[in-house]
Amino acid sequence: MDLLRLAWTFLWLSFLCIGGGLGIVPEIERQAVSAHQWVTSREFVDAYTVAQLTPGPNMKIAAFIGYVAQGPMGAFAATLVMFVPAAALTALVSQHWAGLRGRPWAITAERTLSAIGMGLMAGGVYTLARSAIHDVRTAAIAVVAAVVLATLRVPPVVVVLAAGLAGWVLG
Amino acid sequence: MTRPGLWRLTAVFTWIGLASLGGGRSAYFHDALVARRRWLRDEEFLQDLALSQVMPGPNFSNLAVSLGYRLRGYPGAACALVALVLPGTVIFLALALFLRHGVTADAGRALLGMGAAVVGLVFVMTGRILRVGLRGRTALVLAAGTFLAVGPLRLPTYAAIATMAALGFWLNRPRASEALTPRDAP
Repeated sequence: MDLLRLAWTFLWLSFLCIGGGLGIVPEIERQAVSAHQWVTSREFVDAYTVAQLTPGPNMKIAAFIGYVAQGPMGAFAATLVMFVPAAALTALVSQHWAGLRGRPWAITAERTLSAIGMGLMAGGVYTLARSAIHDVRTAAIAVVAAVVLATLRVPPVVVVLAAGLAGWVLG
Repeated sequence: MTRPGLWRLTAVFTWIGLASLGGGRSAYFHDALVARRRWLRDEEFLQDLALSQVMPGPNFSNLAVSLGYRLRGYPGAACALVALVLPGTVIFLALALFLRHGVTADAGRALLGMGAAVVGLVFVMTGRILRVGLRGRTALVLAAGTFLAVGPLRLPTYAAIATMAALGFWLNRPRASEALTPRDAP
């Protein structure tokens, strides 16, 4: 029963994902931390951080939440429903997309969904900031990281690892 | 335009999945499939990119699926998905669980620092996307409304999407005046 609830939650979460995984971070946090208490707020932020540092789509975070909630089966189920149904739908639409794309209503959908997707991503940034920034030190690290990434051509992974070192030394 | 076999496709997509760290991930696909190997033309890639952005689900894997479908049909789509998602997920899960169980106070402090830096990272990445992508007042209103709802107000995402999509489809509805450009007008 619990496994079904987990799978169902990640299934509908995957279909809310418009314009990038970051956009459903607020809702994943609501469900996994607040509503079902599958993981703690700290575990959620740590997992998202590790997801940024490892290759592949960020929504692999579903595997971690599934594992903590329900063991290996939970990890498998959450990952499966996060990626496969949406992918199957995309493959189905793929064959008709060339013909659909220029239609007026497809343009309407594209414009509307891309704007909503960007708003969702901004909401994701807000949610992560609320969970990861607790004090002056973490705020300072976030600001320095943002300034460095915006102005210098440094690989993001290097900046994140350097911040890990800073957190370790300063903490 | 050469099209790869299934093994070749799986190998290349696995490599893209493992190489893609940080932001701007769709660029890896363009580089590997269009620029370097000439398996696809630019306009084919852009068409699949647009589709992956309109379809629900994680973007990056949806892009892989539509590119895989274009190259090799449904088997190509399936191989593309597994190749992109599986290796990274296994690495991620192993590391995340290791850190969860074996976390010491030192590692905990390092993770706090890295988490804060990730906030800076997603802030900069999202800022770049918004600066390029948000064109016009309608887009601004839709994005701002969605942000306020799911961010500070903590409303459910489905409610925010439903409301903003209804508003957006109305504001962006096809108009006769737009369809009839001066060139087409009698």
